[in-house]
Formats: sequence, C-alpha cells, structure tokens
Amino acid sequence: MRAEALLLSVVVLTTGCASLPAEPGRREGLSYMPRGAGEPERLNHRRGSGEVVTGVASGGVSGGQSATPTRQAVLNAANEVRTSTSGISNALAKLAARKAGIGGASGVFTRYVDHGSDQVPWLRRALGSATALVDAAEEVADADMELGLLRMTGPRLQAAMFGDMLLSAWLDFLNLADVVLQQCPAYSAERLFMDMGRVQRMMEPTLAALASQDPVRVEAAATTMPGLMGQLTHEFGSIREGARTAMERSGQAMAAAQFVEMLTLVSTLKLSLPRLPPAAPATVGVGLVVGSGGVMAGSRLVVSAEWVEMIRRLVKAGVISVPVVSAAVRIHAGQVMMAQSNGDLPQGVREALGDGPEVRGMRETGRAGAGMSEAPKHHVLPQERRAWFEQRGFTGDMDIDHFCVRLEQAQHEAIHGGGDWRLGRTWPKEWNQMIMSILRDAETAAGRMLTRDAILRLVAREMRRYGIPMNFIPGRRR
Amino acid sequence: MSDGRSWQGNWPARMYERVRERGFTSLTAFADAHPTLPLVELAEELGKDSFSAVQVFSGLVDEAERSCQVTRLTRGQLVRELSESFPDGWPVVFDDEARLEAAMTLASWIGFTPETHKERARQVTAALLARPPPPGWRPLGPDDELLRTLLPDEEA
Repeated sequence: MRAEALLLSVVVLTTGCASLPAEPGRREGLSYMPRGAGEPERLNHRRGSGEVVTGVASGGVSGGQSATPTRQAVLNAANEVRTSTSGISNALAKLAARKAGIGGASGVFTRYVDHGSDQVPWLRRALGSATALVDAAEEVADADMELGLLRMTGPRLQAAMFGDMLLSAWLDFLNLADVVLQQCPAYSAERLFMDMGRVQRMMEPTLAALASQDPVRVEAAATTMPGLMGQLTHEFGSIREGARTAMERSGQAMAAAQFVEMLTLVSTLKLSLPRLPPAAPATVGVGLVVGSGGVMAGSRLVVSAEWVEMIRRLVKAGVISVPVVSAAVRIHAGQVMMAQSNGDLPQGVREALGDGPEVRGMRETGRAGAGMSEAPKHHVLPQERRAWFEQRGFTGDMDIDHFCVRLEQAQHEAIHGGGDWRLGRTWPKEWNQMIMSILRDAETAAGRMLTRDAILRLVAREMRRYGIPMNFIPGRRR
Repeated sequence: MSDGRSWQGNWPARMYERVRERGFTSLTAFADAHPTLPLVELAEELGKDSFSAVQVFSGLVDEAERSCQVTRLTRGQLVRELSESFPDGWPVVFDDEARLEAAMTLASWIGFTPETHKERARQVTAALLARPPPPGWRPLGPDDELLRTLLPDEEA
C-alpha cells in the first residue's frame, strides 16, 4: 500500500499533474471535493457549529447575506489545505522514522526530510490565521467589514495553498530519493545528495516568499509557480532517468526496466492520466474547457465543479486573485512546462472562475493596481493609540498593523484635513483624531469599554462615509 | 468613490452640477428632499460612486454656515444617523445591546457634527441616553418636535 501510494505520487509529479478526480487518500492541495461525514472532526474549529464544511450556500442563513457564502468558501479552502498538509506531515513523519532508504546513508538525507517538516508549522500558522480571521469576520455585524476581514485571509490562504503544493512536490522528491537509495545502489548517494540540494535551492525563494505571507510577495510567488513546477518536473524526470541509466550501466538492465515499467503500469491502471508529451503544446490553456463536472482537459477532469464554485466565490469577493487562480489551474492541468507567459487561461475558464469586468476593475483600483500600489499606506486604526486597541482585542491576527489601506494622494490630503473647499475648516482634525474622538464618545455614551467588533463597526461606518474601500493590507509598525 | 477619483479636480463644481440636474438650487434643498436617507445613500443619489458622504456633508456644512443653519443641519444629520441604525424607530426594549447601539450611533453623529456644535451634540447624547425617547420614536426631519427641544435653533 505504501509503495503504491509512493509510486502514485511519483507518477503524479512526473506527469506534472497534481489533480485527480475523487481519488481517496490523494494528497494534493487544491482540488476541492466536498467532505463527507467521515472527515475528522478536528478539522472543524468553528464554535457551536457542526455544519462547517458541508452545506455551502444552502440558503436560509439569516444575516450577513452576501458574506456567508464567501465565509464558507474561505473555510472550505482552508480545510482543503489543512487536510492535505496533515497528510504530508504524516508522510514526512514516516520518512523521518525510516532506518533504511532515505534514513540510511549515514543520515545525511535527514536534513532534506527536516526541510519538509520545517514548512509544516508556518503552513499551519497561515491556516490558523485565516481561520481566526473568519471567526472575527463572523462576529462583526457589518457586511462590508466582514468581507474586508475575509479578504484579509487571502494572502494567508494563497500562501498555504501554494506552500502545500510545493511541499507536496518536495515529498515526491523525498520519496524518489528513498526509492533510489534503496533500489538503485548504482546511483551514488553523493550524487543524489547534490541533486536534492539543487532542488531544495530551486524551491527556496518561492517557499520563503510564501512563508512571508506578504500579499505582494505571495502573489508574485504564486504566479511564477507553474514555471517552478515545470522545472521541478524536469528535475524529477532527470533524477529518475539518471537512476535508470545508472542501473542499466551497472548491468541491472532488468531491474531498471522493471523500475520504469512499474511506473507505467501504475499510471495506466490507477490513474489513466495521459502523460504530457515531451513537446507539450506551447500555448497556455490549450484544450481547457468548462464542463458540467468542472474544468476539463480533453476527457480528464482538471478541477472539480465544486472547486470551481468555491474559487469563483473567493475571486468575486476579492479574497484571491485571478492570476493566482490561473496559476493553480495551470499546475493542476499540468501546463507547467512552457515558459512563463501571462498565465492566461481560455476566457470561458476564467469566467467560470469568477473573472469579469468587476473583478478586473477591483484589481486595477485595488492593492495590485497600477497607481494604487504606490499610493501611501495608512493605518486605519491610529498607531499612536496601539495600546488602547490592544486592550480592546486588536492583537495577533487582528493587530492594528493588519488594518492599513492605500489612499490616493487627493483623498489622503482631504482626509487629513487638507484638500480644498472648507473641509479643512470643517474638520481641523485628522482622520486619526476623528476616529479616536468617535470611539471615545461611543465609550463615554455607552458607559463601558467598546468590544473589538463594536470598534470595527464604527470604523466601517466612517470608512463608508469617507469612501475608503475595506481592502486591508498589512503595514509597518512605526 | 472607491479609488479616490471623487476627490480629484473641481469636485464641488461637479457636485453642484449633479444637484442642478436633479432640479435643486442648493445641496440643502436636495438633502431636505430626502430627510431620512442615510448620508452614504444621499451621496449615492448624486450618482453611483461619484462622491463620498463626507464630501456631500462638507458641502452641506458650507451652505449651513452661510445661512446660519448649522444647528438645523446638525439635527438633520441626527435624523439620518437614527434612520440608518434604527429604521423602525427608537428600540422598544432599551436593553444593554440597544443602549450600545444608540451610543455608537450618537458617537458617529458627534463625529459628523461641525466643531462649533460638538459640545452641544455631546450634551444631547447624554440627555437622550439618560432619558430615552418613547419607543418607536422616529424623527422624519430636522424639525421634529423632540429634536427641536433637545437642540433648539440659536442662530435665528
């Protein structure tokens, strides 16, 4: 069973395709499948609610109308990755316990297994952060602010999704190394050690960018992932070929043939996955169409309809971006071999994934848009009063540094009491003083300390009045 | 308004153009025609995503200062705040939750009160919370009787 799973993953990587329809026990990160009742309960962190993973948009949910499906989609996506990461973590633990194979060779390969295990904590933290933000979002009785908080999960979710994919690829390399060390003595451990080091270095910058959870770095890393997966696929193939050739040269032609045959056999029997021809079509997105079952490449399901639906919600709500989603679909489709292009998928597929004029508009004017990316960042909750906010629950994932917005200069000046036409006279105070004054007046009037949610509601009200979209980005602590 | 475009160029001129297009000679007249509309929705009435609520309000303050009607504008703004938070009128059960809601609404109102009138707005807030108005109270404009008692005109 173990060997079978191992080879299965080998083939998955060899074909550069990380997505299978409903293969139980598969450990790939992105393909969304509705979870059944058999799922471990610990995946559901929600308080007092057992219907977290299933029942998306079943209707009849009162309050927070438009945010509810988005909240579910974020939770589903986070749970997807959490399940996958758990599987990888278990597999890594088994590898770490090995005495032979990767556990042999005087233990020099241990560092590579550790490199994999070292990624698990930050992946779990990112997912924990996303879940914490979803919890906070659910408590805020303001639909705009709720969506704002859900959008804050985006970089964490994207980092976890792609980090999980990369870790999954690394696990495939570890498994390959394990097999080669055990069965191909002709391929020297030194050479394999160098190979693994090279692959690790290849992945390092992307892993670091993802682990940073910085929105801009994560987005950039995610969109270059198809290219990286292509390189990794190539590396994987060349190590495997190297091992086979070494076996042949050392007179183990039979064993080498079996080695390759086994892969082919498993691939046809278990997966029916067409291998990418060596010269894959050079145009990105070729052959991808939306069918009733999801996105198809020929007769093969690339991503399920449920996954498409989940992603569509996340894209529409601005939680994750179209280029990032396109990158994920390309990786799933195995279209990783071609050089980096604009990452465009066919229009029909993009539309199914939520791309549209609205979303493109949001992108143009949003955080990654041309002009706005240089617009100055501004703390919505004044930094000068950090301790005041900390006392009221703005800590950790809800730290005030996570609540920054980019403002165009004209708007910024106006909010700061500059601008023109008497605004300066009407509001001599800056936004900071204005918002603090409202919060203090509210506490005085209420005769008690405001809760975090009450503060967020008051802030949401002011942001709406000032026409500031609730697209929060992390800012620097001063 | 989501991208700061509303603040660019001569936006007051743009705003008055919209007001005239809708058949009003002043922002105040336009606002009076929609007395219970929350400020954000009032701004939307001048065109989707064209102006922010704070721009519309600054125009209203400008006019009110010229015509010595800042107190009236302040009452009018409270009407809009209350209609946003309590569309069905003052809560029947004035429990802790309702009290917090009212406190937040009134604090927002103080925030949207010109500097000259902030202290009076704070006094009105304290008075309203100390002696809550009758359940279901829903002022329909700046000339509401209870509001005029709480915040009488001085300028006139």
